[in-house]
Amino acid sequence: MISLTSPIETPYHGLPAGQKLLVLCAFTFAIFLTSRLDAHLAAVAFVSGVHLGAGIRFTLLAARRLLPVWPFLAVVILWHIATDDLVGGTVISIRLVATIGLANLVTMTTRLDDLADVFKTLLVPFERIGIRLDGLEMAIALVLRFTPLLLQRGTMLVEAWKSRSRRHPSWRIVFPLTLLAIDDAERVSEALQARCRAEREGRSWHVS
Amino acid sequence: METILEGVSYVRDRKKVLDGVSLSLTDRRIGVVGRNGSGKSTLARLICGLIKPTSGKIRVNGIDVWRDRKNAVETVGIVFQNPDHQIIFPTVSEEIAFGISQLGHSKRDARERALQTLSRFGHETWADRAIHTLSQGQRHLVCLMSVMAMRPAVIVLDEPFTGPDLPTIMQLHRHLHSLDVSQILITHDISALAGFDRVVWLDRGRIRRDGEARAVLEEFRTEMERLGRSDDFADFAD
Amino acid sequence: MYRDLAYIALFAALIAALGIIPKITLASGVPITAQSLGIMLCGTVLGARRGASAVMLFLFLVALGLPLLAGGRGGLGLFASPSAGYLIGFPVGAFIAGTVMERWKARSVVAAAFVAALVGGVFVVAAFGTAGMAITLDKSIPEALLLALPFIPGDMLKATAAAAITAFLARNRPESVLSRG
Repeated sequence: MISLTSPIETPYHGLPAGQKLLVLCAFTFAIFLTSRLDAHLAAVAFVSGVHLGAGIRFTLLAARRLLPVWPFLAVVILWHIATDDLVGGTVISIRLVATIGLANLVTMTTRLDDLADVFKTLLVPFERIGIRLDGLEMAIALVLRFTPLLLQRGTMLVEAWKSRSRRHPSWRIVFPLTLLAIDDAERVSEALQARCRAEREGRSWHVS
Repeated sequence: METILEGVSYVRDRKKVLDGVSLSLTDRRIGVVGRNGSGKSTLARLICGLIKPTSGKIRVNGIDVWRDRKNAVETVGIVFQNPDHQIIFPTVSEEIAFGISQLGHSKRDARERALQTLSRFGHETWADRAIHTLSQGQRHLVCLMSVMAMRPAVIVLDEPFTGPDLPTIMQLHRHLHSLDVSQILITHDISALAGFDRVVWLDRGRIRRDGEARAVLEEFRTEMERLGRSDDFADFAD
Repeated sequence: MYRDLAYIALFAALIAALGIIPKITLASGVPITAQSLGIMLCGTVLGARRGASAVMLFLFLVALGLPLLAGGRGGLGLFASPSAGYLIGFPVGAFIAGTVMERWKARSVVAAAFVAALVGGVFVVAAFGTAGMAITLDKSIPEALLLALPFIPGDMLKATAAAAITAFLARNRPESVLSRG
């Protein structure tokens, strides 16, 4: 599966993932503490500068990634025009663009594996509330393997629908798709049982 | 039945899956052979109007199958390879009635006609059976019935014999033989095309041979055996 | 257990696949993305713990930068956007839906599944979504609710779909409905 890491190399690709996440968290936290316009302008200037430091092509790519935010920005601006608080609306819009932009930057300049390592470390405390972390590697591999397959099946079902109807497929497509997912789950669990050596019965998923 | 392709090309992921294909198909039973990855499945989907040609024109009985979905759906039917990837509804009669109802018939009418279709094939008892209780071969037949219930002028069969066991293949053969509808059979199994009128051989998106079935199949078989004796595995994905 | 792992992974894949296939239409003619239907199914079919795990696995991969959210979206930016509340609400909603399915021993699977999907998949998710929008858009809760409300009717229809699918599985593939296992 293709991740959203940018193919355009930047100086930030080499920075450690943990550091980038820390900066992102600090930045996001700080910006929520203030509602001053000048602070926000400085923030967006910072984020823009960081992007431009990696080149125009990269900045344009990043800008494209911000397109899905447009509807929210539109709502905010219109709302604040209606309530005669354009400054407030600008502050919110800038904050959205800056935080999402910086977060996207981390995604675009960090390899999947590196981010995964950091996240796994962060998840360790959650084991106390019952979240199992052993098997996470296997689970990720399975999702990456089966999402495209299920997609293909979904597409085939959509084709089977469209070959007999000119209407858009109805939600009923989810029935056979769910069955296919369950069939795969059963087959996978058999395959795992056949290939994995459990250290303690039913506790570990270490692959042999 | 008249299926016409004029200079049809199809590009996906910057790869030319079909390149300048022109065909005039009026025979009753037409086979399309080729190695996996030659563009056969794409051709099948283009003829049904499920995908849009990158360039060129496709007309089935004068209908632009991509633009005119209403008439396309009535005229061309398609049966895909794996029944589990194309059966949408949980019971046999629902699956068969679906296409009919999409043609504009009421639900009751559609069920009536579905039952008639089941009778024609001699399987009235299957009407309310759950699909998952049927064998693979029986599911194949349900797919065929679902398409035939719509009384198309031509059906396209995309590798119907890849997968089922021999008895099922033989039964499907017999059914197809007895059907009064034009058939375009996509397969890499030469024996499935015995008795066919015309065969088109697709090779890497282009027509390599197009003519009388026996002659083309003979050439195709020779070439496949020659390739089999060499050590090159095909290096293009389906 | 391998079976748990396989189901969790496959349902996470199912959520992803449902986000990518083209919009489907409900009986009312409204085109929607089926992804939140996947969230509901995680709860009603897999139960609380497994269902929430499946959704969190999905979110984990989205956070890593895989474009698995409907519309090909992904990455950390989503967790800073106004939709972040919804994302956080997803696993909680699946957990609550699963809890309802597991605890309420109603004779009718469809009724239990509908209530489960409605409470967990619609209301809990909407609550988190509203909170998220309130925070990121700097609005009060009632104001944010105005933004969340239009999606509720569509989501309620999805809950009926989730109930129908769960009931279907309970009838035809009972061993797969882990929430009632």
